[in-house]
Amino acid sequence: MIRFKIAIFITALAICCSPAWSQTTDSDLKMFGYFQVSLTHQKDLPSENAVNSFQVQQLNIFLQKNLTTNWTAFINFEFLNSYSSFRNWGAHNLEEAWVSYRRSNQFKLKLGLQVPPFNNLNEIKNRTPLLPYIIRPLAYESSFNEIIAIEEFVPARAFVQIYGFIPWDKAKVEHAFFIGNSPNINNDPERGQTGVDSTNTFLFGGRLGLRFLNFKAGVSATFDDLDFSFLADTFLADTLNYPLTRLRKVPRIRLGGDFSFNVGKFSGEAEIIRVTYDDDHPDFNVDKEFFYGTLGYSFSEKLFLYGSYWATRENYHPVTDQDIDVFNGGASFALFDSLVLKAQYARVKIANSRQVPHEFDFDYYTLALSVVF
Amino acid sequence: MKILIILLLLIIAGATDAFSQVAVIAHRAVQADTLTQSQLLDYFTGDIKSWADKTPVVVLDLKGQSEIKDSFYKRLGITSSRIKSIWLKKLLLGEGDAPEALKSEDDVVKRVASTPGAIGYVSRSKVNSEVKILRIVEKEKL
Repeated sequence: MIRFKIAIFITALAICCSPAWSQTTDSDLKMFGYFQVSLTHQKDLPSENAVNSFQVQQLNIFLQKNLTTNWTAFINFEFLNSYSSFRNWGAHNLEEAWVSYRRSNQFKLKLGLQVPPFNNLNEIKNRTPLLPYIIRPLAYESSFNEIIAIEEFVPARAFVQIYGFIPWDKAKVEHAFFIGNSPNINNDPERGQTGVDSTNTFLFGGRLGLRFLNFKAGVSATFDDLDFSFLADTFLADTLNYPLTRLRKVPRIRLGGDFSFNVGKFSGEAEIIRVTYDDDHPDFNVDKEFFYGTLGYSFSEKLFLYGSYWATRENYHPVTDQDIDVFNGGASFALFDSLVLKAQYARVKIANSRQVPHEFDFDYYTLALSVVF
Repeated sequence: MKILIILLLLIIAGATDAFSQVAVIAHRAVQADTLTQSQLLDYFTGDIKSWADKTPVVVLDLKGQSEIKDSFYKRLGITSSRIKSIWLKKLLLGEGDAPEALKSEDDVVKRVASTPGAIGYVSRSKVNSEVKILRIVEKEKL
């Protein structure tokens, strides 16, 4: 027993005095976050049916602690669409839980649940105070999840990332490489542990970018395999005579390109994403494309105006195709640094083709208050 | 008499210069003696977080809007609102905290003098011997 106590004491002493712990803690635990409250008026055309809705679109609470000079821990709790488990509204996510290590500007490491960089917006899509939009460009708008398969366009999660930048004269070459789960996460308790990847494949991805003065451009890519075996019992497998073994591991490639600039009072950003599935079947096509472009003008330090166009092209051959086009414009006005008023108008046009052609449009008018605390 | 007038004019011209120039100042122990505009931008946007000797960089800013602040950032080729959004992005991504903003230029000089690794900017006329000057930039006409 005495030996055991001594062993514990020596171990505790060794841990306390090890170099990693002897560096003094840089900061206390920091808690901060933001939320965005919105009022939306949606009018379907031509029926003129309309709905008005207030909601807490997004609330994020961060916990951060600098463990040493180089190590930082970060937690991000996210609440969407006026979350209430009692009333069965919205969603609550553990969105991020990672620790980062900064060796130099060229080499930084992030371990744990994180949102990986992909094009301009993926990493900051839920950081509403950084965006002038209330409704975000289609592939990034979580409230469109029921209309568009948003997680097919962009990688939602990664677990390991190496990133940084390399100075090159006045420019900087940005790099980020990440690994995560493939998208085949089990959510059925009857099939075993939920929340874990049900296959032996990984998501690999990254972004290479160039930053020069107020211009930024980059290319992004991810590679993973999808398990489409749930289609085995559907008419698709019979109709297409698709072998089950082939459906279990369909390679998917996302390719993206992004560009942004700030020149005087003008700013702009644009990106394109192409998602391809290597399914080896001429009659089965679920490839997708996404584009958005925004041009903005800062009237003053407080007032920003913008116009923007977004589009998705989704194939669901042989069932249907879906094209969505959104034309929109908006403004943001900073009452002060942590309180911003936003307004946005969007005309959404959805067209389905193939077996049951269908088109419908609707208008969105939204107002929002974005608060950082 | 002529010499006296010339001397007086020179003194006035010098004083005017001191008021129309922004000095980038640092703690005396900082090893760098000068910084390029590009390096300054890296420090003030948090891209570079430590000096060559690994001492952490402590950036100090001025609170609110002022002529010297707008002029300094304009000289760096960036607006103060863009600087704010860069730091907000770093904060929300867990990459760093915005610089502490102090009320007056005198406060900046005092804090730079007493904080190892500190860097800030003030009117040249405010600089004293307790800090070192890394760069002088002419005030931009706004």
